[in-house]
Amino acid sequence: MKKLLVVLLITAMVVGMVSGCSKKADNKKSSTNKDGEIVLNYPTFQCGVNTAAEVVAKLVEEFNEKYDGKYEIKLEEIPGDTNYVDKIKVQLGTGDLPPVIYGGGFNLLDLALAKDLVVDLTEKVDADSEWKDLYSEAALTTNSRDGKIYASSVEGSLVGYFYNKELFDKAGIKEPAKTWDEFFAQCETLKKAGITPLSMDTADSAWVTQLWLGALVATDNESGLDFMKTMNPTDYNTPEMIAAVEKVQKMLKEYTTLDAIGGKYEQAANNFLSGQTAMIANGPWMIGDFTDETKTTKDFADKVGTAIYPDSFVYDAPIQGYFVTKQSDPKVEEAAIEMVKFFTSAHAQQLGLDLQGMVPASDTVKVSDEAKDKFPLLSEFIELAADAETRTDNMQATMYSNLLDTISQELPRLQSGDIDAKGFCEIMSKDAAKNS
Amino acid sequence: MNTNTINPRDRLLAALKYLFVIACVIAALFPLLWVFMSSFKSNSEILSSGVSLPKSFNFSGYIDALRISPILKYFANSVLIAGVVTFVNVLLLSMAGYVFARCQFFGKKFLYFLLSLSMVIPMTALLHPVYIVVNSLQLYDTKLGLILVYTALNMPMSLLIMRSTFQGIPRALEEAAYVDGAGFVRTFFQIMLPCAKGGLASSAVLAFLGSWNEFTFALVLTSGESARTLPLSLSYFTSQFSFNYTALFAAVTIAVIPSILVFAIFQEQVISSLTAGAVKE
Repeated sequence: MKKLLVVLLITAMVVGMVSGCSKKADNKKSSTNKDGEIVLNYPTFQCGVNTAAEVVAKLVEEFNEKYDGKYEIKLEEIPGDTNYVDKIKVQLGTGDLPPVIYGGGFNLLDLALAKDLVVDLTEKVDADSEWKDLYSEAALTTNSRDGKIYASSVEGSLVGYFYNKELFDKAGIKEPAKTWDEFFAQCETLKKAGITPLSMDTADSAWVTQLWLGALVATDNESGLDFMKTMNPTDYNTPEMIAAVEKVQKMLKEYTTLDAIGGKYEQAANNFLSGQTAMIANGPWMIGDFTDETKTTKDFADKVGTAIYPDSFVYDAPIQGYFVTKQSDPKVEEAAIEMVKFFTSAHAQQLGLDLQGMVPASDTVKVSDEAKDKFPLLSEFIELAADAETRTDNMQATMYSNLLDTISQELPRLQSGDIDAKGFCEIMSKDAAKNS
Repeated sequence: MNTNTINPRDRLLAALKYLFVIACVIAALFPLLWVFMSSFKSNSEILSSGVSLPKSFNFSGYIDALRISPILKYFANSVLIAGVVTFVNVLLLSMAGYVFARCQFFGKKFLYFLLSLSMVIPMTALLHPVYIVVNSLQLYDTKLGLILVYTALNMPMSLLIMRSTFQGIPRALEEAAYVDGAGFVRTFFQIMLPCAKGGLASSAVLAFLGSWNEFTFALVLTSGESARTLPLSLSYFTSQFSFNYTALFAAVTIAVIPSILVFAIFQEQVISSLTAGAVKE
């Protein structure tokens, strides 16, 4: 009898646990709740240590306040960029997409468009002059397909490089190079002074290294610039590309740290932040790290200067923005469009700039005095970038996504001499062709 | 002449054995110690000198870990989900294992093959169908959804272990129970299950660790804090251009402690069960 009681109790406990576990919280998916308020489930990777986490949280708070009783955003945190992309891809496969998706640097727009799941925003944007004015030519290119506007950008990608003024002084270098010949001469001078000139990486798509590569290609000649402006290029076996890869090979062999081979962005960043290297190519989101004492020394920010690339080049393109996906409930779609408009408004762009030093997607949004005081290096860089004669998007934003792995696999072989520049470009072309 | 004297060759062999064991212990413990030590180092220390000792011992990494991610909530979810999965798995699969080990019925081999087959299906191939099924059952973002999926994922291994365990128990025990008047159910619960402790512990540990460490389904099948599990919390500390390794290692330390404890407590049973039946007498 006693044992039977024990069995019954255990059974009751399991049933209780299981039924408790299945109790659903409200509003897991976007829908209209009982008060008639439309709830938007918004998944985002901009959480945790992501630099934009604070901005997104603030925008959600403001939106919910502004549209109280009408719309509400429920934030779904998906920590980790790749986790976010993986989950969206699974949802794409099932057609069960959240109403608003941030394309970011992952080109999710084209994946969703291929399945005809994206809402055309052209009519809405054209009808709203304030919204339309935020679209520059570049923003239209990034967010439109076949003449139709599908997305709206909030952030721009303005990327140059940072240098360590103290190490430059030690090597007797007065200012950043104006030409590539001068740049390589500076690398040689730094090396002779016992200073490693460059932070570079090869793993995780080699972000830092490909910034140098793309800058070399874009400034080689008109064909190089055209190549950089081409979406999903398939032929990497071009004279400009081969010449640029040869120079990157030299950089990897002679002017960077040993841990660049197989190293990730974190190692490259740490080498610069710890004063081991004199230069790193990266965007303004890194500025916050210069004052982070868990990553660098107290006075490091004072030692950092910023520059555009030699031959007057800067990466400058809006990052693919927010887009609305087709929903069975038109009211949810309407709410989603309102959210995209709010999240990419001049106010939102200004907020990103003031809170986190995010470069606005629209050139109509000016750098405020508050941002200038808070991020002097950003302000200095924006002024420098304004004078750049050549500008385009970065190579990763335009290449087929499978090449991100190829570049990581082949750069170490390029450095070791297993393959030469031509061989590298041939492999890139071969892997790009797999997409056609 | 002292016949107990160990000759130099044996001494050398004994020394080599100890050296080998010490090397194995170091190899096994080093990653854990490294993670633990790193949880007290700054980001710069971790990246610049990976194997050095921390300059100071402070708990800022642990404080950051708790601030940045809802790690305690996820921890509690993991304990509940892994606990229920382990219990359900062991209960159901021990029954199934017993039937497969002892009973004869039509299609037995085919059914066993079918159930074991799911072990070789890659997890990525299951993602889409499982997502659709869980959604259509209204179990998206619920603990029950994860419990069902994890129970199913752990099924082949537990079945394999429990069937082998019951096959290794002499039939005479059951026959004696039947002679004494015990029925099928009573024989199973009171005679066979206590004899299969090793197999039960082994499948329980594997089911617990499998559920505790699982990441992909936890990511895809949940959207909020109410059902998410511990592995997801570790992703809060690194993004493409931002990282907090100190907090990450602190979170990893918190995350691995239960796994180590569970394995440490049951390691003898697990090892004896995995080697059970290797030699037939």
